Amino acid sequence: MRFWTSALRYTKTDMLAADNISGGARIVDRRQWARKVHILSAIFLALTAVISLASGPTGTSLWSALIKIVTEEPLSTLELIVLRDIRLPRLILGIMVGAALAVSGVVMQGLFRNPLADPGLVGVGAGAGLGAIFAIVLGGLVPLWIGNLIGNALIPIAAFCGGWLSTIILYRVSTRRGRTSVATMLLAGIALGALAGAVSGILVYMADDQQLRDLTFWGLGSLAGATWSKVMIAGPLIALAIIGSLFLRRGLNGLALGEATASHLGIPVQRLKSGSILIVAAATGAAVAVSGGIGFIGIVVPHLLRLATGPDHETLLVNAALLGATLLLGADIISRMIIAPAELPIGIVTAVLGAPVFLWILLRRRGLVDM
Amino acid sequence: MIKAQSIAVKIGGKPILHGVNFQAKAGEVTVVVGPNGSGKTTLLRAITDEVAWNGHIQINDRDIHDYKSWELAAVRGVLPQTATLAFPFTVIEVVRMGLLSGIHSTTDTLAEQALARVGLAGYALRFFQELSGGEQQRAHLARVLCQVWEPVVDGVPRWLLLDEPVASLDIGHQLLIMDCLQNFAARGGGVIAVMHDLNLTAMIADAVTIISGGQAIASGAVEDVFTDQSLSTAYHCQLRSNTLPPKHSAFILPQTASLA
Repeated sequence: MRFWTSALRYTKTDMLAADNISGGARIVDRRQWARKVHILSAIFLALTAVISLASGPTGTSLWSALIKIVTEEPLSTLELIVLRDIRLPRLILGIMVGAALAVSGVVMQGLFRNPLADPGLVGVGAGAGLGAIFAIVLGGLVPLWIGNLIGNALIPIAAFCGGWLSTIILYRVSTRRGRTSVATMLLAGIALGALAGAVSGILVYMADDQQLRDLTFWGLGSLAGATWSKVMIAGPLIALAIIGSLFLRRGLNGLALGEATASHLGIPVQRLKSGSILIVAAATGAAVAVSGGIGFIGIVVPHLLRLATGPDHETLLVNAALLGATLLLGADIISRMIIAPAELPIGIVTAVLGAPVFLWILLRRRGLVDM
Repeated sequence: MIKAQSIAVKIGGKPILHGVNFQAKAGEVTVVVGPNGSGKTTLLRAITDEVAWNGHIQINDRDIHDYKSWELAAVRGVLPQTATLAFPFTVIEVVRMGLLSGIHSTTDTLAEQALARVGLAGYALRFFQELSGGEQQRAHLARVLCQVWEPVVDGVPRWLLLDEPVASLDIGHQLLIMDCLQNFAARGGGVIAVMHDLNLTAMIADAVTIISGGQAIASGAVEDVFTDQSLSTAYHCQLRSNTLPPKHSAFILPQTASLA
């Protein structure tokens, strides 16, 4: 007993000493650095946006157009069409899609507590892909009046519906008595993905040469078909999803400790899970619908940021939106310029540039990745 | 006061607790002991609403079902037996998660103080996964302390519900944490801890409940509960309880079969 009481006195002394040490300067940690990254990313995004507006195969100069606007000189028809109807919607779509994919990646990885998760896992990708393939291969069978009503939007609408449908199925399968099992969802997502792959295979088998080409291009993704109507359709959904994701940031942090501990911290875990899935389905569904299957952004951006600024969702979500938009715009500029006037599918650019950089970072910071 | 009446829990169809009555008073450290698989942790998990249970549970004279999740988080912090962590968070980031209930404004100072309280001052910027098991356990405890830092708020006591808080700690840190718990109780808060170490329990507990075979077989003050008979019955082996000066605290000595 005497030993214990004296040990207690020692530990108390330790405690007092510890109090004195921590009573001094405030800890400078990654949060402050992450906030600086907010500003840096915003600057980079703005620069990339200007470059994106200024570059294109027609040689239309943004600078001269700006001078004309300032001096109130009328723009030429070509400048008007290129800048207002081609480059500007493409720029905005690129920002939206990049942000949507990166934020979806962050939310999915937070929800599954797994750095390998991406929106494909909740079936959005597979379902949207299947919807698009249906539209491309069997689009001719759609009654004429529906075709007239929706015009060129058949593929986006089909992709969006496919994404949502598969998400709803998956959510129903993995939710029992009001509780969603994340593990069941992961496994069911793999099963559903395989099924969607098989059905896609049958449709690809049925497709003719032109349809095959369309399928390939859709699968690799592109912002080439950007129009104001696409921006109007996808914009509100993506904006709502990204704003909504900001409400999940504390919950996603707590979820890193496991569902039980998160609920002890007062986080409404079931609402957090439903909200996350809804947000990913909306953001990814809308992004895939308007730009096709652009890979890599959803997994690379969250990883890069976690390595650079830490996994705190307080700052991760905003940074992911900014960096995702910047990277996609950058990839889009390259895809437009590299074989101009033709265009490379953007998915190829994101993979060719992203994969080696990603590998290099993984090799350098392997220790952190294993955590 | 935390009051649990007729708590019955089945897990996978198998009954784990059979109508357990349990109570813990604010201002006291209440320890739940019992052999492996007796239902100690399950009782704690019923009180934290982690498992489906039948019966009645009240926290501070209010039915647990009447609390919203954030209200519960504001009155009680829970330290599970094992807590995992995804992603490379630093220690201070983990401790800050305890502030989710959004009560405190001076968050960083508090997180640092909580770290210092568990003997982890200077560990704030280390990666959580790089800490040893015992250090991780203390970091989690700091997170829980952050959640209910002031033991009494507006006259309402707050609670620490801890499942084996010192299981992987050395004796010095065990005493540090015990001191921390006693301090919390002395300032008006309530502590319920599930423990294995009977001597440590005897040293710090104001009240003890022995759970064995899914039932509470004894509860009350240490000297009343830690009898040779109740301990030997609970643990299915010969144990002898004695007391030592200066405070005549109980200590438990295992007896081999031949000595008994």
